Amino acid sequence: MTASNEYRFQVNLSGMIQILSNHLYSSPKVFLRELMQNATDAITARKEVEPGYQGEARIELTGTGDQLTMMVEDNGVGLTEADIHEFLAMIGQSSKRGQQALLDGETSFIGRFGIGLLSCFMVSHEIVMLTQSIKGGPSMEWRGKPDGTYTIRQLDTQLSPGTKVYLRCTPDAAHYFEAEYVKEALFYYGALLPYPVTLIHDGVQSVVNQDSPIWLTRPELARSCRADVLAFGERLLGEKFQDFIPLTTASGRTGGIAYVLPHAVNLNAKRSHRVYLKRMLISEKAENILPEWAFFVKCLIWTDELQPTASREHFYENEKLEEVRSELGDALRMGLADMAENQTERLQKLIRLHALSMKALAVQDQAFYAMIHRWLPFETTRGHRELGELIDEGDTLYYTGSIDEYRQIHHVASAQSMLVVNAGYIYDKELMAMLPVILNHVQTERIEPDEVSMTFTDVAPAERNQYYDALRLADSALQRFRCRAEVKGFKPSDLPVLFTLSQESSTLRALEKASEESTDLFSSVLGSLSAGINSAGYSTLYLNVNNPIIKRVLTSPDNQMTPIAIEMLYVNALMMGHYAMNKQELEVLNQGIVRFIDWGLRANTNHEGDA
Amino acid sequence: MKTEMDFEDLMEEAYQLPNGPAKLGFLEEAARVADVNGMVEEAYEARSEIVDVATFCGYPMKALIAFSWQLGKFDQQPEQYDEETLLWSYKWILGKMPDFPEISREKIMELLEDFGARFKSYGYSERSYWYYRFRIFMDFGELEESGRSYDKFRTLDRDFMSDCEACEQDEIMRYFMLKGDDEKVLEAAKPILKGRMSCAEIPHLTLSEILMPLYRLGRTEEADKYQVKGYRLIKGENDFVQSFSEQMEYLTLTNPSKGIDILEETLMLAADHEDAYAKMMYYAKAAPLLRRWAKRKSRKAIACVCQLPSRMRESRVICSSSQITLRNMLRPLQPSLISVTETHMYPR
Repeated sequence: MTASNEYRFQVNLSGMIQILSNHLYSSPKVFLRELMQNATDAITARKEVEPGYQGEARIELTGTGDQLTMMVEDNGVGLTEADIHEFLAMIGQSSKRGQQALLDGETSFIGRFGIGLLSCFMVSHEIVMLTQSIKGGPSMEWRGKPDGTYTIRQLDTQLSPGTKVYLRCTPDAAHYFEAEYVKEALFYYGALLPYPVTLIHDGVQSVVNQDSPIWLTRPELARSCRADVLAFGERLLGEKFQDFIPLTTASGRTGGIAYVLPHAVNLNAKRSHRVYLKRMLISEKAENILPEWAFFVKCLIWTDELQPTASREHFYENEKLEEVRSELGDALRMGLADMAENQTERLQKLIRLHALSMKALAVQDQAFYAMIHRWLPFETTRGHRELGELIDEGDTLYYTGSIDEYRQIHHVASAQSMLVVNAGYIYDKELMAMLPVILNHVQTERIEPDEVSMTFTDVAPAERNQYYDALRLADSALQRFRCRAEVKGFKPSDLPVLFTLSQESSTLRALEKASEESTDLFSSVLGSLSAGINSAGYSTLYLNVNNPIIKRVLTSPDNQMTPIAIEMLYVNALMMGHYAMNKQELEVLNQGIVRFIDWGLRANTNHEGDA
Repeated sequence: MKTEMDFEDLMEEAYQLPNGPAKLGFLEEAARVADVNGMVEEAYEARSEIVDVATFCGYPMKALIAFSWQLGKFDQQPEQYDEETLLWSYKWILGKMPDFPEISREKIMELLEDFGARFKSYGYSERSYWYYRFRIFMDFGELEESGRSYDKFRTLDRDFMSDCEACEQDEIMRYFMLKGDDEKVLEAAKPILKGRMSCAEIPHLTLSEILMPLYRLGRTEEADKYQVKGYRLIKGENDFVQSFSEQMEYLTLTNPSKGIDILEETLMLAADHEDAYAKMMYYAKAAPLLRRWAKRKSRKAIACVCQLPSRMRESRVICSSSQITLRNMLRPLQPSLISVTETHMYPR
């Protein structure tokens, strides 16, 4: 040993490590990424001085148990004694400016190097760094401990230029030092690195990363290396993909591959894309790099134009990111457009799997909608169909605005073979409304349950007169339920009545139901609201004259029986339609059943008496 | 068929959807299934979700209806349910009450007192009561009374039932806005603009609110930046209909063409909205924008798609870029919305 001096950080290093591990990095495993990043930066810096220089990184694992040691070596620029002092000072400065300054991060090479190196204290009680700068000077050794002490000394021997970092694992961190784990992690972080990363363990050397595939720098070539691209995606993202779309931005500084997910995804699924900054993995959970609608793909993206956050796990949400995001979105959109034009089968397959994503995008982008509309699936009274088929079938497409409305009319509509689209699912209503805008010859019309009557057949005036008295009785019986009765003919004839509810009457029913259950104060507040919709809030009970029972009820001479039968048909219709009944309606149901039983029994007894 | 699903399925479908009418549809169906089958706790659970979703996507009436039902059940068996969640919802409901023209001032005051009493009974800080009093008197336009509540609420301690700092700060801004003190508005906005305070709705609301104060102070360069940033946050979200109106108001004066873009993108959201106040503000700001647009010599056609509530069905229409005329667009914005296609020639 020649000169050895003991120094102390002018900061509470253990406190800083606390900050790093608890607030900055998501997991201790990032130490390896930080070391790779340091190596990459050092090699990049050397390449600037010596163009064409071939860099490499070697990671060696030795020892077992508490002697388990990892050495990470690069042949980059190395550090001079002055450099070492500078980066230590940098850490001191950052910490003096407080936690926020540290989190905001330093952007200079040296500054980042220092802070990144500290992450190693999450897995090791000592960091030993040996380094030789290409600028010459003696080789240096730096030893740091998490209590904040460190030593710097000049070495007697001259090392070749570059840096070696030695870590001895702490008991908790032993699994981060296992060969299998290290190999996986190195690939994970460094799969795209433009120099070989070699792992040495038990005397075996293996290169962890393949040669950079050509399509990394030129995504437009990906098409012609299909099998390669798919295999790469599977190794890196862990899924067997069948399709992908290459992505590039205008500047060419961001590129990627959007792998089409081979399974349907939930709309709320985490959009996690894997992003590499200057060839180093920065995030596997980048959510903000692609537009919201792109939830049908998982992407590999590499960029050198975005600014990472201090933890280097995400990007700052700034205008640059916004721009990149919209360019990547455009690339994806163009990929789909290209499919629509040249490979419709491929697109069809994609839409079948990711209809929701396609619909989300179509709502935002009319041109895109126009391009792919034919293949979008909808639920209709004629089953699940693609929009193209539906357009070919009719002049006007009718659709309901909610699942609820669809439920009310779908029996009648399908019995009359009327085509109605259930547009109650997310995006469908908007798409239906927009359709005439993108296709001039197609009309769509939103239909409400109380309008289905237009496909009912009217009853001839003469016949109608015959029912006049019964209808009046029916109307007044239903008055207290704010429902009116109408006589119509419709299919199917075994459906005696059809109950329909307008938006207002539906709201009113809900208001009344809640009012019955609520506190006095809230009931009176709800009362004020229902007063506002009262007149519009009538529902309709259609009596089907094609139904034999209804015919008999309407022509029954018994003035007492008719209202009760109508009331019973009304509550029955409510039950069939799964409507929650209020107290009054439940009472009608109970009393009605008892009455009919009574009538039935009496009729029987009379009959027996006659005999 | 989907409608035959049981309660669990419906709730699960609902949880998978983002907030919006489709999600509400599933939740309402779930509540109905629970009601029909006498599953009270499930019905309560579904309604909790309805209150949450409906409050933040433009259906205050649905929220109120579901909440009223919940409160009734809660009072019958308070030990059965979680009071924190319920009373937190009460804040949302109370805050929306002044937006309903049908509900009288007297009733709103009764609600406020009921709210205050309930908070007190659970030992929560009175801050929430005074803060909502402050807001409600602002809604009434009674700034003196509002000011007194403002002074009071700020002296009371926060607790976990208080609105977040960012939301409170935003209301404080609104107070100075109503008082016409633009300088104070911007001062109050500072912690929000600096990013020191934020939540799910802030700075979204704030960035649109400060546009006119900045404009009046001649600071349009800043305002332009906030306009872009603000619109990015609220785009496509119908919880922010009022913010759209503030954006349009500012752009009418500075960049009508951009204002028209926003009108096109948001008209459908506004037309579908259940909150009468937000809608009124929207139409009130859209009209001058369109008037100004009508005076321009060269102007692009306006493309929009809108559906009107069923009550206005006779005027329900779709307008496409090729068919719409400005006159058609302008007229609707006065009494209600009307737009026209060739196939839907309703009486003019």
